[in-house]
Amino acid sequence: MSTTTTRGVSRPAPAKAQRARPRRALRGSPTFNFWLFTGPFLIGLVIFVFVPIGWSIWLSFFDARFTVTPSKFIGFDNYTSMLENSNFTGSLVTFTVFAALIVPLTWALSLGLALLVHRLRFMRAFFRSVFFLPTAVSYVAAALIWKMSVFTGVRFGLMNTVLGWFGVDNIAYLSDPNPPWYWLVIVTVRLWLQAGFYMILFLAALQNIPPELYEAAAIDGARPGWQTFRYITLPQLRATSTAVILLLLIAAYQAFDEFFNIITTRATWGQTPLMVLYKTALGENQDYGAGSAGAVILTLLICVVTLFQGKIMGFGRGEESQ
Amino acid sequence: MTTTAPQAGKPGRAKRGNVIGNTGLYVAVGIAALLFLVPFYLILRNALSTDPEITGENWKLLPSFQWGNIGELFDDTTVDFGRAMWNSTVIAVSMTVGTLLICSLAGYGLARIPYKHANKVFYAVLATLMVPTAVTFVPSFVLVSSLGWVDTYRGLIIPGLFSGFTCFLFRQYFLGFPRELEEAARVDGLGYWGAYWRIVVPNSLNFFAAIATITFISGWNAFLWPLVIGQDPGSWTVQVALSSYMTNQTVNFHLIFMATAISILPLVFVFLFLQRWLVQGIAQTGIKG
Amino acid sequence: MSAMSNSNFSRRSLFRAAAGMAAAGTLAACGSNNGRGGGSGSGKQLVQYFHAYGEAGTEQAIKRYAAAYKDAHVRTSWITGSNFEAKLFAALLTKQAPDVFEFHPQIQLVKSGQVADLSDLIDPVKSDFNQADITSHTVDGKIYGVRMIDDPQFFFYRKSMLAKAKVEVPTTLDELIEAAAKLTTDKVKGVYLGNDLTAVINPLIWSAGADTLTADNKPAFHTDAVVAGMKQLRQLFTSGHLLLDAPADYWDPSAIDQGLCAIQFSGMWAMPAMQKALGDDLGIFPFPKVGSAGKLSVYNGGWSMFVNAKGKNVDAAKEYVKWLWIEQKKYQEDWATSYGFHIPPRTSIAQSATKLHSGLPAEGVKLFNTYGHFDNIGWTQAMITAVQDAFANSVRKNGDPDAALTTAEKKVDAELKKLFG
Repeated sequence: MSTTTTRGVSRPAPAKAQRARPRRALRGSPTFNFWLFTGPFLIGLVIFVFVPIGWSIWLSFFDARFTVTPSKFIGFDNYTSMLENSNFTGSLVTFTVFAALIVPLTWALSLGLALLVHRLRFMRAFFRSVFFLPTAVSYVAAALIWKMSVFTGVRFGLMNTVLGWFGVDNIAYLSDPNPPWYWLVIVTVRLWLQAGFYMILFLAALQNIPPELYEAAAIDGARPGWQTFRYITLPQLRATSTAVILLLLIAAYQAFDEFFNIITTRATWGQTPLMVLYKTALGENQDYGAGSAGAVILTLLICVVTLFQGKIMGFGRGEESQ
Repeated sequence: MTTTAPQAGKPGRAKRGNVIGNTGLYVAVGIAALLFLVPFYLILRNALSTDPEITGENWKLLPSFQWGNIGELFDDTTVDFGRAMWNSTVIAVSMTVGTLLICSLAGYGLARIPYKHANKVFYAVLATLMVPTAVTFVPSFVLVSSLGWVDTYRGLIIPGLFSGFTCFLFRQYFLGFPRELEEAARVDGLGYWGAYWRIVVPNSLNFFAAIATITFISGWNAFLWPLVIGQDPGSWTVQVALSSYMTNQTVNFHLIFMATAISILPLVFVFLFLQRWLVQGIAQTGIKG
Repeated sequence: MSAMSNSNFSRRSLFRAAAGMAAAGTLAACGSNNGRGGGSGSGKQLVQYFHAYGEAGTEQAIKRYAAAYKDAHVRTSWITGSNFEAKLFAALLTKQAPDVFEFHPQIQLVKSGQVADLSDLIDPVKSDFNQADITSHTVDGKIYGVRMIDDPQFFFYRKSMLAKAKVEVPTTLDELIEAAAKLTTDKVKGVYLGNDLTAVINPLIWSAGADTLTADNKPAFHTDAVVAGMKQLRQLFTSGHLLLDAPADYWDPSAIDQGLCAIQFSGMWAMPAMQKALGDDLGIFPFPKVGSAGKLSVYNGGWSMFVNAKGKNVDAAKEYVKWLWIEQKKYQEDWATSYGFHIPPRTSIAQSATKLHSGLPAEGVKLFNTYGHFDNIGWTQAMITAVQDAFANSVRKNGDPDAALTTAEKKVDAELKKLFG
């Protein structure tokens, strides 16, 4: 079975390959069947994705505080107020810093773990499971462990206990933004949660590298270790790496759970775009207009970035070469 | 699955170096593994301790195994954790079943049923991938609340069933599904619908299992949407309940960590028993995603 | 925390009693999966929202009062977590909005027609209320909420620790900072002001001789004394003598109970739990003077009952509020004194509440009466957030307090313009 499932090249279906048989008009009609199969999904998609997006765009031009059926048209006021809102613009900076930290770190750690596990001969399944297990833990649960046990600012937190053995004073990781220890908390929690997941991707890719390549490299005099890694393994992992980086970026962009639960309330730092939207729309002001404007701005941004990144990294092309 | 020779990458290595290298390798992996297990240790230690043990002046390595903490957690009325577990179960299971059904059908339709506008429809689906669902939560909340679905299972489940991403994954998978099998079905006089249920689905159970596992995990672990929709404690999921523990008026460490341990338990089981599909699913979907 | 375990037994039995009602409530609400549309015809259905009080027994008490009410079935939503405002405001927007909810007096709720005029309920007993509590709920002569409890907030300290370190009770912010330094050891921090310092913002403003708003609703918090106070607070924040990142926030007695700090800012409600844990080793003092023209101050917070004017059962909700929070004096006294300590806003109840007449509670009442500042109904959540941001940016982050307050002032002005034109 696995032979049929592990392939799947992404190429549009040749539309003419199947011709409808006219035996039973409706049951065989491709058009009817197409809508039969896709209809439920598309209806839901329209109601729960397209309509909200449309409504959101509409709301973003209205003064919609404490209401979702506003009547006062205010043009681009919500947009200007969001763009002037230092919390919102600050959140874009937060996201950029976060992505710049978490994407390379996760990439390196998951690749490193994959390389290690790939070389194991005994207990390989065991170690793979250990690294993979954190994927089962939710961001909320992990945030709770990090905040309440690992990085608690008082003496009975794990980190402060360990530091205490070396005579270091307790550190308030979360309350005090100078130095920004909160990044250590935020980054390590996500690293722990997602490294195993991406390790699995790299492991699968490593297993797909034909052994002959290494043999050929050995014959050509490439030394095992760094040289083979640099000139054989890494290029062979290019498609996977690209995919991993894209997935990591998207995930970082949507970050909410651990920030919401770890960053202390009323902090003005460490706010991701989603947190700002949450507070704007569902916080004390219930400002759906400004919240929607923020959502529109973010959507436009991600479109631009995705297209730009697609251009730069040639995402999708690497795949076919495999 | 893992038949590739592990030593393939280093053919010319001397035996002595191999032994040293292997020891170093296992030490490195061992240390990494220990670090990865520390949080699990903390959960169990704290869950089975009393509060004074946790907050005491010196670190206690092993808990005093307070199994009574389990009963105390479910007896506690401030947060109805049993109800939260039940809500999460209902939500994760229905989301899994619903998503599989709806998205697999759509994916198949997009991949295999010839229709002149199929590509346009596909691009419309792709476009929704550009807008992360998390960004649409404000308008989605607005919509769901005006439907009167706040605090209901409907509101928690239904909007999450129409995942463009899952549909996309199914489409990609079905594109690679061997055409010959379907041809045979059509010779037997089955329409699209019959061929789908009798031939395609039974031959794709591995892929369905993989997607089911991933959907279940994300359903169980979802936070933002349940937080927004679950206004009333009666409709809280496990994740929302956990989050509320963290900011609660009174902090009871042993209960908080017992709740965490119990919330993770179902997924650890999923991982132990379904890891094969999960790994396979991630390997496929991730690469294609 | 210790309060929890000590009163475990009574809590259990109370729980049993409450569980039945709670279960019935949840079943009724969730069984049909259509919320509490409640078209069943058998009596009125009301929903009330409470934030989760930390003191053991509070939830059961609220449910017990509700169960005793005959004219409607009242279901209680007990909202745990720190974002009660967000949950409440979001819920008010939906079809499942609460009919009755507790909150603080804030004028935007009046202006948007969210809360009902309760004057006819309160007028007959108006003279029995603390007049400050009437004023803080009045807009244009109409009273919009019933005060349930008044919660003065001040400092608690461990007498033994201060004596050991030879520290006098601080009366100025400078003295507090010095005291914090002397009280800090390798296991104990000098002072705890809560993890995000938001609790001391208003006291600091008042102690610096300023105010949130002037009488004619102009920002009044941006003075040189407040800026200087913020700089001092920043100094304390970075001194290493302030307890930070404690697992429980200022409202919870555990920081001082667990010996994590010698002085903790908290509220009157936490007093019984602290007394239980620390016995007589406990004293209180108001927020110290800030600057030369400073005054001692106490923040008289508290909670009030409001009726959702946009709800389906406004009249039934008003009846319920009248029954419980005007007529049932026994329950009101129970609520104010049996769990945490709160000061009853009704003079008659305050007189009969003997628990508050002696010892430390009486000192708390004295601070409340002498130095207390009440809520200003014009000071809304958006303004509170603006000032909180200013404090976060300049006290916790190393920003310029003057500039931060200027920004806050702009936001507050914009809010005021929206509210008062």
